[in-house]
Amino acid sequence: MSTPHVIVIGAGSTGSATAHDLALRGLRVTVIERGEVASGTTGRNHCLLHSGGRYCITDQESAIECIEENMTIRKIMPDLLELNDGLFVAITEEDLTFKERFLEACAACHIPARDVPVKHALEMEPFLNPKTLAAIQIPDGVFEPFRFCLAFLATARLHGAVVRRYELVTEIISSGKSVTGVKVRDYRTGKIETLGADLVINAAGPWAEDVAAMAGVRVPVQPTPGVMVTLDCRLNNMVLNRLNKPSDGDIVVPQRATCTIGTTSWKVKDPDLITIPPEHIEKMIVQGEQLMPIVRKIPMRARMAVARPLIVKDASDERNVSRTFECFDHAYDGVDGFVTISGGKTTTSRAMAERVTDIVCDKLGIEAECRTREVPLASYRLFYQGGQQ
Amino acid sequence: MATLEQPKVRRAARWFDVRHRKLGMWAYALNRISGIGLVVYLYLHLVVLSTLSQGPGAWDAFVSLARQPYFLLLDVILLAGILIHGLNGLRIALTSFDVGVKRQKVLFSALMLVALVALSAAALKIFGG
Amino acid sequence: MKLLDITLQIYRYKQGEQPHYDTFTVQVEDTAHVIDAIDKVWAEHDHTLTFRRACHHSSCGSCALRINGVEKLPCITRFSEVGDGNIPLRIEPLRNFPIVSDLVVDVSGFFQRMSASDMSITRYAESTLPLSVDNLDEIVQPRAVVLPDNLTHFNRFENCIECGICMSACPTMAVDNKFMGPAGLAAIYCALQKTDDADEKAHLLALVDGEHGIWRCHSAFECTEACPQAVDPAGKIMALRREVTANRFKKVGRS
Repeated sequence: MSTPHVIVIGAGSTGSATAHDLALRGLRVTVIERGEVASGTTGRNHCLLHSGGRYCITDQESAIECIEENMTIRKIMPDLLELNDGLFVAITEEDLTFKERFLEACAACHIPARDVPVKHALEMEPFLNPKTLAAIQIPDGVFEPFRFCLAFLATARLHGAVVRRYELVTEIISSGKSVTGVKVRDYRTGKIETLGADLVINAAGPWAEDVAAMAGVRVPVQPTPGVMVTLDCRLNNMVLNRLNKPSDGDIVVPQRATCTIGTTSWKVKDPDLITIPPEHIEKMIVQGEQLMPIVRKIPMRARMAVARPLIVKDASDERNVSRTFECFDHAYDGVDGFVTISGGKTTTSRAMAERVTDIVCDKLGIEAECRTREVPLASYRLFYQGGQQ
Repeated sequence: MATLEQPKVRRAARWFDVRHRKLGMWAYALNRISGIGLVVYLYLHLVVLSTLSQGPGAWDAFVSLARQPYFLLLDVILLAGILIHGLNGLRIALTSFDVGVKRQKVLFSALMLVALVALSAAALKIFGG
Repeated sequence: MKLLDITLQIYRYKQGEQPHYDTFTVQVEDTAHVIDAIDKVWAEHDHTLTFRRACHHSSCGSCALRINGVEKLPCITRFSEVGDGNIPLRIEPLRNFPIVSDLVVDVSGFFQRMSASDMSITRYAESTLPLSVDNLDEIVQPRAVVLPDNLTHFNRFENCIECGICMSACPTMAVDNKFMGPAGLAAIYCALQKTDDADEKAHLLALVDGEHGIWRCHSAFECTEACPQAVDPAGKIMALRREVTANRFKKVGRS
């Protein structure tokens, strides 16, 4: 029996981590991406390697998954992270009321959290709001989504995966009730090619609905962008989070010589045409100022927005295998050989990939252990070498 | 996949493309032009000197040519080349060993000013005296 | 906030065809960046336009290209820096890289050079904060840096985002196919700072002390001028020359 061939549509964090897991388990993988790696949702994310603190009160399952994956990512890509931890900071009396609950919830989710004396916090972070009432340190980290994806894909390529950028899937080919391949158009040459596959994974993020439609199934996606503002100066060593329930602009993620305030949320029809509402930019500055008053005086270096792929959830949807991300085996819709995976966050993409690869291997009759927790990733620079253009 | 690359000769033209570039690139281009010019001059100089072996008549003929105003102008141009190449060369020697790197643009301007002053003085002497 | 009509003349190249320029006009907010205009051209006019981008905030380095002949990162270039809509923007790929399609260049040679030093893209930092915040008189150091109790040091990503702008600006890169280039050499300098191992240091110095290493640089300094991330590759190349030369004298002194 020849090795099954799986096509992964999308080279964001989901597609990249999935290609890596599939390749490590010995399957033949081809990734098809219509632009550059991470040019969709993943590229413009907040770069926060979540400790899980943000979810520990409201969504414990998510929080536990985050801290586990946080520790795993540190193991497999140690050189691609800023690991300066983070602080959850109470600025107002209302924030302070969350402190006890937060510490308890962190303990329950096994997130290492320590209550830092405010004086110490202000010494560690000289630009922190002097009105800070409490600070709790948690193991937040910072990654770069582009190199994150490149590292997974480079490793996948070393294990035989093929990554085809600047190619658009124009058709999903079926034979009877099974998907048997895709037709792609190469934007670099204009050529059309047909690729056969034993299974196709739809990891196209906000475009997952369009891709699913090609296979005749429905995956309702609501593109939901958010704005982030990057300042021209790094003001914090550590990630700063607002101690309260999750809200707009409550995180400032530092990176290199900049820091990014995010984020907001609004709905759009077309993920390819996003206009940033100016009031969202102002809101980021206002919220950022609360954590670090000097924010207002720093020039803006960049602002970005991209659609999150929020799947319109049907509570009774039995196809759904997880509460932290969406994974649909369309065999339940009468189309075999086609699986959609969406949602989640880049921090947990390895875990998402593990779950979808388990399902895929099960369907294809492959018995192979997942090794992605242990195998260190190859150098991201290798992605562009050895015949990759 | 076939990619597009410019032929080497066209790429070499970039040495002299100062459009949108800063002072350091001007220095680079000027050094190359003056360098080529000086090499050409050196060759010509040897050819001229070889007339010495052809007897005093040949040499005197050359000297009377060398007294013409247009030839004196060429002398000034030659001197410009020597000054630019030499003084910029000094800047390159310094920066090459990590001296004055942060002020390389100021260094270039200052040295070229020296070159201009020296050249003007020399030109006055050559045409005046 | 007002709307600008931006005209872009974009370099197009597809295999088997002659390169040419296509002109497009899009409407963008004046607070947007050039990458947003290119993105709009793709979204509204021509899906066959290929270009590189990912992070939109100068961390990935993938979007580097030339705007009116000058190397820039379009994701952080405001329209006010490039004519504010009053002049068309000529958008071209980086120089000195083979062109794959439109604005997409082949960066395999570039990453090979960056791999030579195996420089880690992160490094230890005493503090990640600036010494002062430009124009604001807010000084952070020299007050002592205080670390969290569980950390022995902070760490941060290197300034270099491997965008290739320096390689495009370098006139020597134009002609010498084997030149390590400002980015490659600067990376080796950074790698040198991160190791105490004598053999490793010797190996790194040997990498640059060659015909296509530091001696091929002819001091145009355009790399440092063009770099959007304050890496100062020219300064690093000169520092490497000093180290290599000092090393040679030491060897002669010892023998």
